[in-house]
Amino acid sequence: MDILITTGVLGLALIVLLGGGLWISVTLMAVGYLAIDVFSPAPAGSLLATTVWDHSWGWALTALPLFVWMGEILFRSRLSEDMFSGLAPWVDRLPGSLLHVNIVGCGVMAAVAGSSSVTCATVGRMSLPELQRRGYNETMAIGTLAGSGTLGLLIPPSIMMIVYGISAQQSISRLFIAGIVPGLLIMALFMGYVMIWSAFNRGAVPPADEPLPLMEKLRRSRRLIPILMLIAGVIGSIYGGYATPTEAATLGVFGALGLAWVTGALSWQSFTQSLMAAMRTSCMITAIILGAAFLSVGMAFLGIPAALAAWVSGLGLSPGMLLVLLTLIYMVLGCFLEGASMIVLTTSVALPMVVGAGFDPIWFGIYLILVVEMAQLTPPVGFNLFVLHGMSGRDMWTVTKASLPFFGLLVVGVALCAMFPGIVTYLPNLMLAR
Amino acid sequence: MRKGLDLLYRVSGGIAAFFLFMIAATIVAQIAGRFFGFTIDSTESGGFFLAGTTFMGMAHTLKAGNHVRVSLLVSKFKGPLAWLSDIWICLFAAFGCGYLTWQTASMVHDSWRFGDLSPGLLAVPFWIPQSVMLAGLAILTIAFLDELFLVLGRHSPGYATPHETALDGIEEGE
Repeated sequence: MDILITTGVLGLALIVLLGGGLWISVTLMAVGYLAIDVFSPAPAGSLLATTVWDHSWGWALTALPLFVWMGEILFRSRLSEDMFSGLAPWVDRLPGSLLHVNIVGCGVMAAVAGSSSVTCATVGRMSLPELQRRGYNETMAIGTLAGSGTLGLLIPPSIMMIVYGISAQQSISRLFIAGIVPGLLIMALFMGYVMIWSAFNRGAVPPADEPLPLMEKLRRSRRLIPILMLIAGVIGSIYGGYATPTEAATLGVFGALGLAWVTGALSWQSFTQSLMAAMRTSCMITAIILGAAFLSVGMAFLGIPAALAAWVSGLGLSPGMLLVLLTLIYMVLGCFLEGASMIVLTTSVALPMVVGAGFDPIWFGIYLILVVEMAQLTPPVGFNLFVLHGMSGRDMWTVTKASLPFFGLLVVGVALCAMFPGIVTYLPNLMLAR
Repeated sequence: MRKGLDLLYRVSGGIAAFFLFMIAATIVAQIAGRFFGFTIDSTESGGFFLAGTTFMGMAHTLKAGNHVRVSLLVSKFKGPLAWLSDIWICLFAAFGCGYLTWQTASMVHDSWRFGDLSPGLLAVPFWIPQSVMLAGLAILTIAFLDELFLVLGRHSPGYATPHETALDGIEEGE
């Protein structure tokens, strides 16, 4: 049978099962089973068990539950309050004033949490009421938060990068390092926008407080500084080649436990709660990864990724057109799938295409994560929009409108990364060159 | 019966969390070993504990409503249609998971029969960690069947637990 028809049949099965509300991991395995059992002579049953087993104990994957756990521990400390009081004195004098707390706070939180809705919720829990009390423009307060929340996916250590690294068999260390510059770039774009906006809307930003002496600023952020050092230690040990991501994650876990202990937030209850929550999140993500692994095996048996890549290259699209096309496809997917599922589901199919078009797999990983970030801001299933809708009590439309400029800035960020791939690849190549 | 099942999910979830802790513990041992100049290789043990976390935690994660699915369409269903769609996914998942459990059992049996060892320094017989996978999948199959009977009996199933990861901590924090 023609391979494109086979692909169509499998794609249809996937859509019907997913749309029917079946769990994503179960759906992926079922479609993989269908692919092997119906369209190939291989024994699907024994392949299913061995594939699931083989992928379940990979060393690279051990970093995932540990980073999730580290985030859960810090999340249960007083991070949210510390973030606002610790950052406010430093950004108060910038044009746009405390709106920058949202952006920088999300940037810091992103390094801790690695998930964008958690980032959004943790920072917003404290900053939204504070900003409202001081009379800041509400649209901007919500917009900056929605936009910067997406940094959670990009700034290392990021769970999504581990998921991509596993699916695409790329070095997680290099992906982490590759995310640093684009993450800072997006932050700079957001902050620049806030500054320009406040220059045009002078009345909308309340005047800054009296400047504080340096020692007072340091005193107010005394609880934030150890967290920054912990993050720098985790990322630095990976960049310097002293630790694998898994080892760095372990150091992060014990560092976070230490911080929680020192600040008095550590109890047997918070310890077990963080462990159980990390276990559940990790289980959920791993289940999708295992399902996708089996589906990839099935598709590879039939030669689908290679055939699709050949078909796409036969279309004669320029690399730029291919990217625009892929971005649009991801936007549509993002309307009903969340990030991790999007990444595992598409990587095995999309990667041969883009590598064939001459893109670097590490670069594509960062691109993919940026696009998934954009999908967090598109209704009807934009997770950041949900979170902010729940927290601010404003309707979805208001929240969506508020985050629209930041969605636009993310598009600019993706375009910049596409035009200047060095933004992504410079640091990881430097790491490799040493 | 109800209490026994809930205890089963809680205990297996607790074991999964313990395995997650053990991943960190073996890696600390590896780092300490390198520091003091003796070799502990936790590449394999870490991986096995990860597999243990994943499979033993499956049922608990399902019951807590953490496993993701696309509910965009089915959440619009009302009345008997919603009921039938719930029955259908539970039936499908229970059947699929039962099949995977059965296949895993024969894989474990093969590993045991041929005496397969893990390739690293530990050289653990593969059937030991694989048995944990088997146990976890068996419990998950039970959990899916449990959900099926809950839906059939017009009770609300565990996977429908209202759930928003991001907001968990907010409620607990206050």
